[in-house]
Amino acid sequence: MFRLLTAMLPAVLLLLPAAAQAADAPPPGLPACPTKTEKPEVAPLLERMEQMMDGRSSVATMTMRIKTESWSRTLKMKTWSKGEDYALIRVLEGGPRETGMMTLKREKQLWNYLPQAGRVMKLPSGMMGDSWMGSDFTNDDLVGGNSVSRDFDSEVLGTVRHEGRDAWRIRLTPRPSAAVVWESIEVVLDRATCVPLEQRFYDEGQTLARTMSFGDVRTLGWRHFPGRMAVKPADEKRETVIEYEDIRFDVEIPDSTFSLHRLQQGR
Amino acid sequence: MLLRMAWRNLWRTKRRTIITVLAMSLGVMGIVALHSYQRAAYDEMVAGVTRGMIGHVQVVGPGWREAPDLGTVVADAVVVEARLRAALPAAGTEKRVLGAALAGAGDRSAGVSVTGIEPGNTDGAALLTIEAGRPLGPAPAREAVVGSGLARELGVAPGDELVLFGQAADGSLANDRFLVVGVGDAGSYDANAVSVFVHIADAQSFFSLEDGAHQIIVRLPGESVDPEGTAGHLREALAGMPVEVWAWGEILPELKKTMEQKMKQQHAVDFIVFLIVALGVLNTTTMSTFERTREFGVMASLGTRRGRILGLVVTETLIQGLLGFTLGMGAAAAILAALSPVDLSGVVQGDVLGARMPDQLILRIHGAAVLSAGVTTLLTMLAGSLLPAWRASRLKPAEAARYV
Repeated sequence: MFRLLTAMLPAVLLLLPAAAQAADAPPPGLPACPTKTEKPEVAPLLERMEQMMDGRSSVATMTMRIKTESWSRTLKMKTWSKGEDYALIRVLEGGPRETGMMTLKREKQLWNYLPQAGRVMKLPSGMMGDSWMGSDFTNDDLVGGNSVSRDFDSEVLGTVRHEGRDAWRIRLTPRPSAAVVWESIEVVLDRATCVPLEQRFYDEGQTLARTMSFGDVRTLGWRHFPGRMAVKPADEKRETVIEYEDIRFDVEIPDSTFSLHRLQQGR
Repeated sequence: MLLRMAWRNLWRTKRRTIITVLAMSLGVMGIVALHSYQRAAYDEMVAGVTRGMIGHVQVVGPGWREAPDLGTVVADAVVVEARLRAALPAAGTEKRVLGAALAGAGDRSAGVSVTGIEPGNTDGAALLTIEAGRPLGPAPAREAVVGSGLARELGVAPGDELVLFGQAADGSLANDRFLVVGVGDAGSYDANAVSVFVHIADAQSFFSLEDGAHQIIVRLPGESVDPEGTAGHLREALAGMPVEVWAWGEILPELKKTMEQKMKQQHAVDFIVFLIVALGVLNTTTMSTFERTREFGVMASLGTRRGRILGLVVTETLIQGLLGFTLGMGAAAAILAALSPVDLSGVVQGDVLGARMPDQLILRIHGAAVLSAGVTTLLTMLAGSLLPAWRASRLKPAEAARYV
């Protein structure tokens, strides 16, 4: 969707960014987290958040749990990401129909490898808002084509206590030119770490559509990173939770990992 | 005797009689032709609805009509269908599975609507007209027939592979390969762009539905059917089973209501046409009785009873009505025969209020139109003649005989 989401989700699924620098050295010019300021300037705040989540490459393993009223499902997945444009998800363990399923992101395009059919299918652009693998993440979430600084007007609304932590409330409003489906997004950002604690997505008429919450904040070198994230639609009794088992930033990944030819072979 | 007198009297004023008969026949012709045309169009629309995707009555899972969810099925569809057939031995039944998926071929893909049908038990022509290839085989073999628009979009033809990908009712990843065996016209532009038909067993396995079906379509035999009454009967027969029963008029209430409103409008037009004719009849009959005041006076003086005079005038009018009715029917039949079949393919395309519009109409005189025109003619003639006839019968013989 946008980089902020990419930032988290991101962080989570594909777009797991890795720092270009050594894991324990922040990039030069990175704004500090203005923990003590009640109403900080919004631009550097969001820049830090984006930089913290943005990077060059990552490899991670994670578990996705999807729970609905009628069924629940657990998928163990491995993800590779390189910059913003390339990412691959592979389902390592799931049901017999899902194990081996892969999603490849190449620039703005998404491809799925379907293990039972043994074929690759390109996702039409009209389906980007649809659910990924029956989860509460959309395909669009995975592509992460938007950027907070480029596509949103932002504003710090004030401070708030969120589950025992001091946080800022930030409102993001899409610019008219941005291809964003939400009317606005509210971010609750932790004052101690500049890591998001919660994001609320509002539809037209400021109706809450879904909530994304983050937890298990881990420290990886200079960066703080949420090891758990949950998405809950506002009007349905269902939830998707992702938990990281392992994540490594700044790993050398060969380009062939993201090759369409390789995907077509189911490898 | 009365008839002979009435017949002879009619031809004493030939011109007036002919004008009255012609006015009446024009009215009858208009009503019968218009009614029959309208009924033919509606019958075709209803037939399209009931032959195609909807059927006369549908049995669905609880809540399906409110919110058609993939998981809302008629569980044990075979058992429900058996009970349904026991309750309605003459009716045809057919199970369906309906789901959404993504269809891909090569590097093209599109969102599609997957319909699982029973090929051996389906009036295939009503759902889809095969344009290339063949219909689905009778056994599940992962074959697919696709709408022509979709075939163009994906670039597939009979013999090509189609990959379907979606989410199954149990949350698993539904994905499989199918062989395109046919391409056809699914009835409308929209349907052609998204329709994929597969064998119901393939669809049940693809969407993980076990032997559940989303709909059991009931088709009633014959022309005069009562879907609402049948739905009520089936609700009783299937009581205790977790299903809902709907008649087509409840599934497409707008279409049903529109048709009923148009019929009401047609009745209003009938009324106005015959009101005009009735006033004309009243006028000529009144004129005729005035002119014949002396004659009625003489008849009364000779001892003719009042009732007989009244009967004579009414009989004269009714004979004119019968002549007008017969002539009008003949003219309507000739017009309908000359117009039929009406080609509508250039006028309407696609669906109107959920019903497929017919390509052509076969016109014939509709029984309801004859009844409507007959009853209206009789009432018109009585309304136009009773008053003058009553007046004629009440004349005082002495005064009337001297009337000049």
